[in-house]
Amino acid sequence: MKATLKRLFATARHRAAFGALVLALAGSSPALAWDPATTHAGLTERALAASKFHAILAHQLGRPLGSLEPLRLDAATLDVDTSRSLRDRLEALDPAGGYRPTGEGMATAGAWAKAGAVLAKTPPELGRHHFFEPNKRQGLEDGPGLSGTVHSVRLVVDDGATVRDAATGLAPALDGMSALDWLWAPQNDLGLPRFFDGLERSVAAARPEERETALVRSLLALGGVVSVLEDAGQPAFVRNDFRGELLAHDSGSELERFVADRFGGVALPAAASPVPRPDLESFFVADDGKGLAQLTQQRFFSPGTLPQDFVLAPSDTPSDAADIANRSLVFSEPKVAGLDVRPSQRTRYVLRDGLRVLAYQRTGRRVHFFLDRAVYADSARRWLPEVEAYAAGLVDHLLRTSIKLAFVGAEATATLDGLRGSLAAGTTLHIFAEDSAGVRKEIATKLLRAGQPETIGIPAGTRKLAAFARGKDDAGVFVAAGEISLP
Amino acid sequence: MRKREHSRTMVILVAVAITSVSSCSPIVENAPFSVRPDTIEAGDLLGPFDGVVVDAETDRPIAGATVFGSWGFERGIGLRGPAGSREFSVETSADGRYQIPGPQDLPRGGSMRLRRFTLVVYRRGYVGYRSDFKFATGETRHDFSQHANKVRLEKWQNTQEHRRHLAFLGGGQAIAKAAGWEVQPASLEYEGLAAPRVAELPSETAAIAAARMLDVSPLLSVEEVRGVTGFAGEFEVGRLMDRVRSDVYDSRHFKAKGKPSEAFDVGVRVWALGPAGAETQFRKLTGELPAAVPTEEIGDRSVRAHGGEVWGLAFLLREKGVVVQISCGTSQCTETAMILRLAKLVESHMGELRSPGDNPFPSTGDKVKP
Repeated sequence: MKATLKRLFATARHRAAFGALVLALAGSSPALAWDPATTHAGLTERALAASKFHAILAHQLGRPLGSLEPLRLDAATLDVDTSRSLRDRLEALDPAGGYRPTGEGMATAGAWAKAGAVLAKTPPELGRHHFFEPNKRQGLEDGPGLSGTVHSVRLVVDDGATVRDAATGLAPALDGMSALDWLWAPQNDLGLPRFFDGLERSVAAARPEERETALVRSLLALGGVVSVLEDAGQPAFVRNDFRGELLAHDSGSELERFVADRFGGVALPAAASPVPRPDLESFFVADDGKGLAQLTQQRFFSPGTLPQDFVLAPSDTPSDAADIANRSLVFSEPKVAGLDVRPSQRTRYVLRDGLRVLAYQRTGRRVHFFLDRAVYADSARRWLPEVEAYAAGLVDHLLRTSIKLAFVGAEATATLDGLRGSLAAGTTLHIFAEDSAGVRKEIATKLLRAGQPETIGIPAGTRKLAAFARGKDDAGVFVAAGEISLP
Repeated sequence: MRKREHSRTMVILVAVAITSVSSCSPIVENAPFSVRPDTIEAGDLLGPFDGVVVDAETDRPIAGATVFGSWGFERGIGLRGPAGSREFSVETSADGRYQIPGPQDLPRGGSMRLRRFTLVVYRRGYVGYRSDFKFATGETRHDFSQHANKVRLEKWQNTQEHRRHLAFLGGGQAIAKAAGWEVQPASLEYEGLAAPRVAELPSETAAIAAARMLDVSPLLSVEEVRGVTGFAGEFEVGRLMDRVRSDVYDSRHFKAKGKPSEAFDVGVRVWALGPAGAETQFRKLTGELPAAVPTEEIGDRSVRAHGGEVWGLAFLLREKGVVVQISCGTSQCTETAMILRLAKLVESHMGELRSPGDNPFPSTGDKVKP
């Protein structure tokens, strides 16, 4: 042991490692992401309220109370591992937010979606897959060097990884999948595959409790997907800014804390009108530059990507000072302009579109840049409704299609509604009849034609008809669903 | 080789660190509230908590209010997330007081921290109270204190929305149960079909509010009951007291005079909720009524029930968005067919049902004005 420790202190690098480790074990760090328990839940709540979520549940998916429909997650319909994992994560939630299900697994539809937004970062290490740098279309990439090792060790100590993971380099370090890849990743149990599968099974499963549980899982995944987009509205997440925060600014960033304390989960500003986008990726990044990750990156600084402090030369003009600051920027936007570098003890601000985006002070000849509560207040006031509007747009996008069912005499018709552009060939409509005991059986499959109603014969004893189709249109993959009670 | 040694070193360090750190009690963050209303000394997130709940207008204590406290824990390095909670709920005593003890058996771990304590107070007819934010303005609350806290509940206003209220309340099972009645009016608000509901009202506005309430008095008369059952005695006619009348719910109680037993009584309950809400209410009744059996004898769906000395029959009028529940004592309805005849009389008078805005059966696109 003694020899081991001696070797550890043999080089400066190892001394730094040990010092960082000691600091890491002793210190605490600020929340880097939107606070899941309050801000993500609140943003998702506002997004759902601004979207067509309630109407779609109430009028297309046979849930009359819509967003307020009580739904039960029946653990008996899940495999043991899934059931245990979900239970453990759901039990970690704070009931004050109103989205934690009861002991019997009951919560409203809206609460399940909000819970999904929180579970997307429960455990919190999952948040490393929420990063998205839109220029490179990459996720968190801060290198696995010394800081990565230290971070791994910290996670082990904190139960976020195992000792073996840390020793073999498998513990979560300072990298992650890009947010867009994470949305489709099979290992993401709150991603798009789970959302679509759940929606499909909420129509197709035989027993009512299976369908209800499938809908719950789909709603959890919907919240998880929305949560990833909400993080594209967080400057650090689109500016690859994790290590700087963690190791250099351990008590620095206050944006997330500010938003959580100021707005909690219940007092966030209302969403702007839902933002429609042509496809899923364009909610994050697109050629028109209107992806949320792009807009956030261009408008806001994060604590680890500020201009570097510098020392003014006697001959420097304000324009020279701005040039010096801009040369040190990691990202080209936002730029520093209109610096007032006259001697003063006052905090001054760089403005953009009337908002304070950067604070600075001149002390002696040194110009120091930072973010303060005034910057956070301006950012939050202007930006949170936009983030919610993108999230609402994403909800509408994912639920854009439906199967409209109608009775025509003794038969029924099914029509695909909400299609964008052309329908991929081979899309199949699956039709189900539900009996008086609530049991569903598939009664027909038909090749769907865009805009063309399909006629369905209704078997005797049918109480409800339901249908779904999984396909692709110009906006991407969809699962359309619908159901109707017999008169 | 050198790399392997480094890894081994790290493992040893980790093992030492784990034994020393992972059993730590949680870090308790600074409380954003004071210990008492008359001091700026910070309180303790761990509690205990105590206070009194009063009516903001009269300052009188409110008994039976649901008080819910929860402690939210978080863990994580850099990225933080929920890591557990503790909760406690209680009802206020006759003098409006509550006490919440501190949590037991705290979660442990390296970065585990107690991030927040939230108190939620709910009483039907009032705007809910949270210790962190105010409902009406969304402002941060600054008047919450750990001890001797005074919760001033504002009366519910007709201009307020139940759907916003439910989202604001949050809270655990106890709050969800107490505020469960708000789900249906909230759902109607989502549909754009209804004005905010009337709960318990301040007396000065009661007359105005009454004009906005559902009125089921035309649906069944004393004479009609007598005609069906042959009862020769007198009835006292009023409302059933188990639910508060609102603009979506009303009742009629025909109480047989001089008959202490409910076996001679007749009751009519009506919910006018619109198609979606009615379907759900009917489903709920089906689950709640004792020995319920589907009968499909009246309306779009119907169910019969029997409990003690009372027959029950509930039916759904899907298109009208109405659910009716008739109850008739076994000494009043001496034959099971009698309760069906009463139900059919009620159904036949549906056109006379009066509800807010003179719009008896709101349908999609019709907004009921307050």
